[in-house]
Amino acid sequence: MKIKSQKDFWSGLMFIGSGLFFLLWAIIHYQMGTAVRMGPAYFPTMLGGLLTVLGVFILAESVMMEPEGEKTLTIPFNIIDILITVAIYVVLGLAAHWIGFSTDWAIVISTLIVSVLTVMYRPDAKGLVLITAATVAYGYLMKPLGLVVATAALVFISAFGGHEFKWREVAVLYIILIIFSVLVFVKGLTLPFPLWPEYFS
Amino acid sequence: MEQILHNLVIGFGVAVTPIHLFYALVGCLLGTLIGVLPGIGPVATIAMLLPITFNLSPVAALIMLAGIYYGAQYGGSTTAILVNIPGESSSVVTCLDGYQMARQGRAGPALAVAALGSFFAGCVATLIIAVAAPPLAEVALKFGPAEYFSLMVFGLIAATVLAHGSLIKAIAMVVWGLLFGLVGTDVNSGVLRFTFGVPELSDGIGFVIVAMGMFGTAEIVANIEMKEKREIFTSKVKNLWPTKDDFKNSWAAVLRGTALGSMLGILPGGGALLASFGAYSLEKKVSKHPEKFGKGAIEGVAGPESANNAGAQTSFIPMLTLGIPSNAVMALMIGALMIQGIAPGPQVMNEKPELFWGLIASMWVGNLMLVVLNLPLIGMWVKLLTVPYRYLYPSILVFMAIGVYSLSNNPFDVLIMGVFGVLGYICAKLECEPAPMILGFILGPLMEENLRRAMLLSRGDPTVFFTKPISAGFMIASIALLVVVALPAIRKKREEVFVEEG
Repeated sequence: MKIKSQKDFWSGLMFIGSGLFFLLWAIIHYQMGTAVRMGPAYFPTMLGGLLTVLGVFILAESVMMEPEGEKTLTIPFNIIDILITVAIYVVLGLAAHWIGFSTDWAIVISTLIVSVLTVMYRPDAKGLVLITAATVAYGYLMKPLGLVVATAALVFISAFGGHEFKWREVAVLYIILIIFSVLVFVKGLTLPFPLWPEYFS
Repeated sequence: MEQILHNLVIGFGVAVTPIHLFYALVGCLLGTLIGVLPGIGPVATIAMLLPITFNLSPVAALIMLAGIYYGAQYGGSTTAILVNIPGESSSVVTCLDGYQMARQGRAGPALAVAALGSFFAGCVATLIIAVAAPPLAEVALKFGPAEYFSLMVFGLIAATVLAHGSLIKAIAMVVWGLLFGLVGTDVNSGVLRFTFGVPELSDGIGFVIVAMGMFGTAEIVANIEMKEKREIFTSKVKNLWPTKDDFKNSWAAVLRGTALGSMLGILPGGGALLASFGAYSLEKKVSKHPEKFGKGAIEGVAGPESANNAGAQTSFIPMLTLGIPSNAVMALMIGALMIQGIAPGPQVMNEKPELFWGLIASMWVGNLMLVVLNLPLIGMWVKLLTVPYRYLYPSILVFMAIGVYSLSNNPFDVLIMGVFGVLGYICAKLECEPAPMILGFILGPLMEENLRRAMLLSRGDPTVFFTKPISAGFMIASIALLVVVALPAIRKKREEVFVEEG
């Protein structure tokens, strides 16, 4: 059997996977109830089943029907990369649990590891990973290190994810953005963000 | 008639107070700005600003957010005409003839016709909302849970039928969205569903976060992957005023575009995007010189530009009267109402007339502002386009990150945005449209609630959806839609239409 549409094949698998996950998780963990008094599992089971069936159709179509004018699927990483990424987060999360450091730091460190691995081995996925990593870093650095450092992380990491990276330009951009953030969001809209790292203030 | 006048008087009384004029202006300017800039759309912008609207009054919040949506339609046409890049997806077809006009030195008339056509369409659409909304809300007040459930099924099906690309994938995305919407505490039993022991998930996933990930970060990444190339049409915009011939050629197109756009805007899944595509095909079909299209036909600008503005505005009708979003922007509007503690639905009109009519009147005021302000400011907007994307996207990211983080000062929200950003990226690569998913996401809990109530009332008899007349109507319409679209001949035609236009 030959896969005729890569895009349909993978979307089919994606829908089947998540449909089955919701379906089984709901059946195992929650009460089904009856049609008159629906339990918490009833609706998710219906939907999960439906999603699985739709996924099967899409998958079947992808091996049977010739797609018209489909461009090839170009995605800069593969399924193993996704599994490795998930594994890194899970392992560090569990480590945090056992050793007893905060899961926040586990997320920051995992994100750092994934970013470094991406830059080294999957340069084409740099845009996606670094932009995501930049926002995640911003969120997790805000409380311990304050707005000034968090914004620096966001701007520099995301800029590094683009095509061109010039230190000077990015530094100027950062200064403008941090002044703007402080004036508009902290002073103007009085959002309760710390400006500097905890032990400074 | 008298009632309508009376209502409009209330509305204008609200809309012209200085504070509301100010927020309408802010919304329109922001809307134009993001309309001009490719790579950031109204969905991401409105999602970003939602947390901020918490500090505003409900009327001011809605007026500003609505201004962003229709302002974006004006801004999008500017970029399309001058740079041949659709600043907004609804301006894709404006590129075809608008840019050609600009190359022939007629950028001015193209911009003017687009703006005036949009203004005319905006006026008509405002009136249509004022006339059509009250009776619709009246009907909707009689809806029971069975009717609501069927209406939502119909809305979701119609939204997928009108989406681009594969129908079955769009339906799968809706179902997926419904499932994501169920994460959190089940209201009936208090059971935590799909939270995996994460306390932050017990209130569910914030849909602002999902929208920003799927439409914000995913889109930025897509833009970065495309190599930056942007040629700005350098010649000065002169002779803004269209000639007599231009007026003669375009008035009928404006009328047709307005009519078609208003109709398509009301449909679930409709709105500005579909309206502009539809109007372009219509103009090409009725024209005596179809060969002129794509070579600078002014009708090809006038029709779609009127239609997208009309569609943007009439898509408020189902949201305001039924509490059901017809597209992703309206889903966010519902979110804005809920942030303000207002349950969306037909009762809003009676309980909060100043909100309802104030919003409608402000749309007209906003349209006027856009025409008056934008034509003189075109030079400034064009300058903005010379800012390279590598400066823009870190700035956009800063706003998005602040917006998400400030929702509850919890980094977990930012993490979830990242996850949905990656998911949005993968979905885009696999050609699975994110818009149906967002609709499903917002309707998930509502659907479950109405399904439960309907089944409780009917003592577990599922035929209730087909024995109540209104509900049966929606169900039959949904099935008919699915069957019609699945027919091979129409399926082929539908794909052709989207290929030709997309």
